[in-house]
This record gives sequence, structure tokens and C-alpha cells, in this order.
Amino acid sequence: MKRKVNVDRAEISSEEIAKRKNFNSVLKQSTRGGKPILKNKWFLSSIAVAVVAAVSIVALLNNPISKTAKKELSVVKADSLELSDFYKKEESKPCISPPLKNINIEYTIYKLSAEKGAVLDFKTSSKLIVPKSSFEDSNGKVLKGEIELHYREFHDAVDFFVSGIPMTYDSAGVRYQFESAGMIEILAFQDGKQVNMAKGKSINIEMSSNYNGTESNLYKLDTVRNNWSCLGKDKVVAKTLSSKTIDSVKEQNPKLKAIEAKKEEVKMEKEKALSILPTLSPEPKKPIKVNKQKHTFDIAVEPKEFPELAIYKGVLFEIGDENKNFNASLYDITWDDASLKEGTQKGKNYLLTLKKGTKKYELVVYPVFEGKNYESAMKSYDEKFAMYNTTLEKHRLEEKRIEEEYQTKLLALKKQQDEFIRKLKEEQANQFKQMDIEDKVKRMFAINSFGVFNSDCPKQYPQGILCTANLVKEKNVNLLCYEIYLVDKARNSLFTYHKNPITQFSFNPKSTNILWTVEDGVLYWLKPEQFTGISNKEAMCNLKMNRIEQKLTTVEEIKASLNF
Amino acid sequence: MQETSKYHLTEADLANEQGKVEAAKKNPAHFAVLYDTYYEPIFRFIFQRLDDKELAFDATQQVFIKALSNLPKYEYRGVPFASWLFRIALNELTSLFRLEQAQRTINIDSVSINSVMEEMEETKIDLYHDKIVAIIAEQLTEDELQIIEMRFFEKRSFKQIGDILDITENNAKVRTYRIIDKLKKVIC
Repeated sequence: MKRKVNVDRAEISSEEIAKRKNFNSVLKQSTRGGKPILKNKWFLSSIAVAVVAAVSIVALLNNPISKTAKKELSVVKADSLELSDFYKKEESKPCISPPLKNINIEYTIYKLSAEKGAVLDFKTSSKLIVPKSSFEDSNGKVLKGEIELHYREFHDAVDFFVSGIPMTYDSAGVRYQFESAGMIEILAFQDGKQVNMAKGKSINIEMSSNYNGTESNLYKLDTVRNNWSCLGKDKVVAKTLSSKTIDSVKEQNPKLKAIEAKKEEVKMEKEKALSILPTLSPEPKKPIKVNKQKHTFDIAVEPKEFPELAIYKGVLFEIGDENKNFNASLYDITWDDASLKEGTQKGKNYLLTLKKGTKKYELVVYPVFEGKNYESAMKSYDEKFAMYNTTLEKHRLEEKRIEEEYQTKLLALKKQQDEFIRKLKEEQANQFKQMDIEDKVKRMFAINSFGVFNSDCPKQYPQGILCTANLVKEKNVNLLCYEIYLVDKARNSLFTYHKNPITQFSFNPKSTNILWTVEDGVLYWLKPEQFTGISNKEAMCNLKMNRIEQKLTTVEEIKASLNF
Repeated sequence: MQETSKYHLTEADLANEQGKVEAAKKNPAHFAVLYDTYYEPIFRFIFQRLDDKELAFDATQQVFIKALSNLPKYEYRGVPFASWLFRIALNELTSLFRLEQAQRTINIDSVSINSVMEEMEETKIDLYHDKIVAIIAEQLTEDELQIIEMRFFEKRSFKQIGDILDITENNAKVRTYRIIDKLKKVIC
């Protein structure tokens, strides 16, 4: 793992560290802690009774209509035992307790071969990559045959609410609420029996998410400890409209392909037009006057073989300075054969080969002219050079015309292509904008067990207004409820309070808030506009909850009822 | 180099501390005294090697849960109880890194780096500052990094390093200077 380096990180004060001490939690979680006092039934029930009684008395004494309240005090006291039983019942519920009967997030069930594994696509475009032989039974035996994988995702506060999965996190004794980037539950079964993930195996999850922040950690719900265990970081991959995406679309687009083909066609046309231009004769070489200090050879030249020399008369071949071993005695030999071929500098020098018997000499020679022959050659050269220049100019003009014609056609095609690509990009950008954020953000992690996993960031409860909130229904009757849920619409979290009245109810007045609870299977909610009437000053604030009369049967109906 | 004085306990202190350990063995509630004493040093030790504060608090709590659970197995060997806790903390961190649940982080303050450079007898502090940070982060093994962290970033004595790593004081010293030599060679 790559190491991260922090230089001069801010210090944490001893006070902040001391605040996080929680010896009770150590005692409770250690194997030597024994049954903690907090779990003793007598302790819980006594505390429940004491808290309810104390809160009720404080609330009623502080209430401006305390005369009426005092009359009701005896009723409250009489009810407190019943309330205590109710709270005891609520507290003893399992870790995951859906608050509404028959309404929950449905599982998607995948059937797969344990031996082969599978790559599974979920409706939110999440992906599950299950390797082969990933399942074992409770005895640790790797399973074969068909496995049923039950999978579901939770993305917003209503999803969390209906699931009954606790969203509070106890970190070293401090209670936080999870702000979620997405939560999943994954379970595996064979023949109706729950099975485990095989040792050393892991399932890779690519979960679609509404949030692309990287501050979240991955947590697994420990249903025994009723708390979450931090598993580390998940990897966030945010899909962007990359140039690579556009390039791949460009490559496949038939119209763009046709334009590319047309470009190739006009290029071929240009090359053809150039190829049929008359061949330009080589530039005549300017005759060089003989150097009388140097030796020359007079050799007959085959005009067809050397046309550049054939236009002159009386050409001689002067021995070049590079022939260091040239000896004038070579002149005395009557050579059987003398042949000429192109030299190292084309049109400028030649290689003369002289042969006699087995003897062979090679000399680099330069064509030169002497006396009248030179004058005549110069005259001829001037004429030929003028003619050559005229032809060359014509040739160049023709080439230029062909090139310009080609460039005009190419430019038109490029314009056409650029315009098309611009439209294509615009279209893609629009499509990307319209995509759900869930299609754009993937949170990737590997799990090596089954259960509930949450990509989350523990956050403090919202702050701003703090009061004691008493939830009442029709005729100002207190609601008998245990879990009360606050949603701050600016945050993807479900803040849970326990027991009515809520002694430390806090919310951010600048946000759009919704509060709801369930009494006897019926949903009651406080509308966002009702929060404006709550102030810090009120010691006890009666919140008139609205009963949802409609019989709710689906998660979508709940969302619609709460204007979610 | 300034030594951490808190760790240095007299014979009487050690005996007193051992008494508290024995009391906690008999009654887990008595572990609270040791928890209070060592919570902050253990947290700082863990957080020194992590980037995530919350994870550090969680890991600290885990160290004490494991310590209390395993207290009956604890045997006094003439070293402070803290060294046993630090060893549990090291194991907890190793486990977090192995399972990729936490990012291995090196938290350096500029002064500490200067003390490494001084030990290397390197005077061009400004010139090599960033280079030495990079070498420590990328080229030292985990064992070597632990020693550099404890000696230079946490200012621990060789005795305490030895106690935590379960090696002799002399061995801790030898290992430290070997790493300093390695750093010298790499930087040249």
C-alpha cells in the first residue's frame, strides 16, 4: 500500500482526545466485561421510568398552560408504567426492525452457479462480480450447485427508514448519524439456508451512488453489537464525458466514416493528377572548364545511358582529387575496356573502371570541357537551362493548382466533419447531463462476508435550534412512539431520536426539514413549513403531527406522501 | 536528542503500576485507571500512523478492548505496561493496513526531519529536506519506518523502542544507525 505523507499536520488537543474516552464501552465489548450493568433489565426499566417521569414533570412544570397540565400529571404518572413497558419492548427489538409492516425495499434475487460465479447487473446499474467457488456452509465446506443471492440497495432517507437498519454509529462512545453515499444488503442462500462467503474469497461491488465525495468510509453492520464496523475506504469512480468516449463514438459513426472515406478519395484524386503531369527532364548540369593541372580521360559516352552528358560535345573526364593513388603511368597502358557509371554525387561525378586482363582500376572522374568545346557546351547549357526553367515553372504551377484544388476540397470536408463532431459532442453532453448521477458515480469495494454495508461518513446531528419537542396528534394527545426521524433535505441522512418527548431535539432552521414517526403502524409527519414556528426559547414545544390517512403500501407511496 | 520522560518509570513506579494491572486482572473495572493513563499516548501512537482521526479513535478503543480481554495472559517482564499496549496497537495497525482498511500515513513535522538530517550529519537541510521525506516514505521497509518514526518523530528512547519492538536497547540503537547509514547512502 502506498504511504501518504502529511507534513506539519494540525495537532489534536488533549481535551479533544480525553472527550473520546469511554471506558464503559471497553468494559462492555471486552470478553471480560461480563454482563454490563446497562444491559440489566432492572436497570433499563428503572432508567426508563425515571427518565419518562422526570421529563414529563419538567415539561409540565415549564409549560405555560401548566394549570391544565398539572391536572393531567396524575394521568401521565399512571401511564408511565405502560410507557415503560412500551419502551422496553421497542428496545428489545432486533437490530434491523422495519418500522412499517409489509413495506420494505425489495430484494432482487439472482440465481447463480456456485462453481462458476457470475457478473450480476442491478437495476441501478450497480455491478456485482462474484468469483467462482465463493460460498461455503456453516461447517466451512465450499458449496456447489445453485445459490440464491439476495441483493438490495438503499439510497435515501425513506429507503433507510423503511429498512429499519440503524443509521447511528457509536465511535468510541460518541454517537453519530451516518450521512450515506449508498447502502447495500447482500445475503446468500442455498436450499433456503443462509450460507457464508468462502474463506479467502471476496465479491467486488460497483455500487451506483448519488454522491461522489471521497470522505466516506465503508462500514459493515454488526447486528450482534448493534453497531457498525469500519472496513476502510471505498474507491469512488466518477464517470466523466471523456475525450476517449467521444473518440470511440466518432470511430463508429457512419457519417463521420463517410467523410473520412471522401477525404481519402480526394487525396487519391490529387495523387493521380500529379502522376499524369509530364515528366520533368533533369536539370542540365553546368559545364566545367578543364583544369590543366589535372589529368583527363577522353571516353566515348553512350547517350542513352548518360543523357545529361549527351547534350554536350567533347566531354572529357577529369581525375578527381579523391583518387590518392592515381599514377600517370596508367596513361601508358592500352586498356582493354573502359566503362563509366554513376558516381557518389549523382550527375556531378562518375566512376571510371579501366580493365586490362585481370587488372582493374577504378577512378572517380568529373566531366569537363576544353577550349571551343567548353564554349559550345556553355551555349548549349544556357539554352537548355532556360528551357528547363520554363518547363519547371509550368510544372510547378500545375502542381500548385492541383494542391490548391485538393486543399479546397479537404477544407470543405473538414468543416463538414468539425460541424458534425461539434453537434455530436453537444448531443453527448446533453445526454450526460440527463443521466442520473447514479449512472455517473460508482463506489467500488470488495466484501468478504455477507450482510449490510454502508458507504458513509459519520456526522453530528444538525444544529441551530435546540428544544424539547413533544409530538402530539389530534386533540393534543401525545404520540406513543419510540423512534422519531428527522430529515434535513440538504443531507442524505436519517437522524433518529428516541422517545417522545425528544429532550434534545435539534435541527438546522436554514434547511428544509421533515420529521416523522410511526404510531401503531400509522405515519405522522411534521411538514417543512411547521418548523418555522419552533424556536430556541421554548423549553417544551408541542409539535402537531399530521396523520397520513392514505393506506401506504409501497416505498414510493411513502415518498410521495412526505413530498420526498 | 530529548528523551520522552513520561515513559521512564522508577522501580517503585513499575511496582505500583504492576499492582494496578494485578487489580485489573481480578476486577476488570479496575482497568479504568490504566485506560485513563494510557488512552492519550496510545491514541497519539495510532494517529501518528493514520490519516483518519475517527479510525484512530476506533482503533484506540479496540486496543484497550483487546488489552482487557487478554489481561489474564499479561506477564510482567520488568518493562512498563505501556510497551505491551503499544505492541497491541502495532498489531492493530498492521491488521488495518493488511486488510486495506486504513491508509498507512507518515506524519512528519519539519523539526523532526531536521533531527534526522542532523543525525545523518547532513548540513544542506533545505536542499535535501523534500528528498529525505520522499526516501523515508518510499524506500524504507515497514520495520525501518517504525524505528525512524519512534526515534525521530515521537522522540522515544532506544530503551522504549526496544521494549515496544521486543528487542534489546542496544539492538534498537544498532538498527537505528543502520537505517541512518542507508539514508546517507541513498541521498548521496
